[in-house]
Amino acid sequence: MRALHIAASGMMAQELNVEVISNNIANMRTTGFKRQRADFQDLLYQNIRRPGAATSDTGTIVPTGIQIGGGVKTAATPRVMSQGNILMTEKELDIAIRGDGFFRVRLPDGRTAYTRDGSLERDANGTIVTVDGFVIEPEIVIPDTARSISINAQGLVQAIIGLDAEATDLGTIDLARFVNPAGLQPIGDNLFLETESSGPAQVGIAGEEGFGTLLQSYLEQANVNPVSEISDLIAAQRAYEMNSRVISAADQMMSTTSNIQ
Amino acid sequence: MIDNALLISLSRQVALRREMDVIANNMANMNTSGFRSAEVLFEEHLMRGAEATANKRADRDLSYVMDRGTLHNFEPGALIPTDNPLDLAIDGEGWFVVQTPQGERYTRNGSFQLTSTGHLVTSEGYRVLGDGGPLIFNDEDRTISVAGDGTVSTEAGEKGRIRVVRFADQTSLKAEGNSVFRADDVQPEILDQPRVLQGMIEKSNVKPLLEMSRMIEVTRAYASMTSMIERADNLRRDAISALGRID
Repeated sequence: MRALHIAASGMMAQELNVEVISNNIANMRTTGFKRQRADFQDLLYQNIRRPGAATSDTGTIVPTGIQIGGGVKTAATPRVMSQGNILMTEKELDIAIRGDGFFRVRLPDGRTAYTRDGSLERDANGTIVTVDGFVIEPEIVIPDTARSISINAQGLVQAIIGLDAEATDLGTIDLARFVNPAGLQPIGDNLFLETESSGPAQVGIAGEEGFGTLLQSYLEQANVNPVSEISDLIAAQRAYEMNSRVISAADQMMSTTSNIQ
Repeated sequence: MIDNALLISLSRQVALRREMDVIANNMANMNTSGFRSAEVLFEEHLMRGAEATANKRADRDLSYVMDRGTLHNFEPGALIPTDNPLDLAIDGEGWFVVQTPQGERYTRNGSFQLTSTGHLVTSEGYRVLGDGGPLIFNDEDRTISVAGDGTVSTEAGEKGRIRVVRFADQTSLKAEGNSVFRADDVQPEILDQPRVLQGMIEKSNVKPLLEMSRMIEVTRAYASMTSMIERADNLRRDAISALGRID
């Protein structure tokens, strides 16, 4: 009885769908989070009566045949890279990216990761780091005596040092962009790694053609839309339920067969 | 005659099992974008009775049931907005053309993605074809916009037009899995005025209510066939015990 396995594949697919949705909902308040979606495809078909098979010597053929599908599979969980809402925080090292681009983060093992989470901090040396303490590239050190730090739309970091009257340039935060940002590999902690499918990172200054601009004292919220997530969740749950009904119906048919005396 | 009743019920049960498989596949693909539901077509299969020339009256033909084919329902599914600019849907008739290793295939699942080489592909990695071959984007193309007639343009200018085709006779399309269909006997014709929607996706056209009721119908029919087999069997047992009695 194929129906049992087909319905089982349907239940597994919906289970994964619920997992993806629950991860979106769990990260509803995660800065810079990009939601995912589960994409499904039908499995291979088995030709029980091949379409096009000859039914007579005079050339008549089977017009449609019998094709029975094998169920469903999850093809991908693409990330939707749309812009999240920008929220004001009044913290001077909170930076939101408006448009395309990622901050570059140096991981402790030397690799470079990418993030949209711009809630930055200063470490003990004054270096600009992420909340996990990873250094933002290019490394920018803010001296102890610096005050009123300002970051413009192009990423230029300036501060008034000591008793100076004029601001000093401390460095520029640049951005990286990818041909296919949906192909980046998420590694948790709001970080992504470059993959073959994302293409190599192209580094550039914010505001240049194709790059977004920066906004100081703002953070980008997750792009999760709670209403659509909840309605997707309901749909997934119902689909799961219905597939379980198929299993019990198939089971009923088998038990009728085995009860023949 | 009793044997015939058994065999006829059996033919119905085999067909019902296949119908159940088809329903299960529809239900499993309830949330598969661009999926087209299938249904089974039954036909009466006449079996000539034994030629009995010695008798006055020839035996009657027996009619068995046979599943003749599965038909796809090509009604469009619901269009759902997504925020993704690479999600495309066709409003009304038409098929996207994709390049697979086995040749050109057709799909209604417009959940497309970009590869690192800039090709527009399906989630299976099949390239989406435009008027002049696969659609390719490069670094200069940032905002991809697709017009209603399928014309793809970016900041760098027009990139071509997504090929949308139609078939005079859709019934000969065969599902191949991975959301694609194959056309063997029919030639696609290019649709001049397709309506392509960007940022939308077409859901499957499975109607869960209909499938549920068909499923109940199948299980009930199956059970009643079983009870018929039982009754035929009882009849035979009674006949043997009644006729075979020696007083």
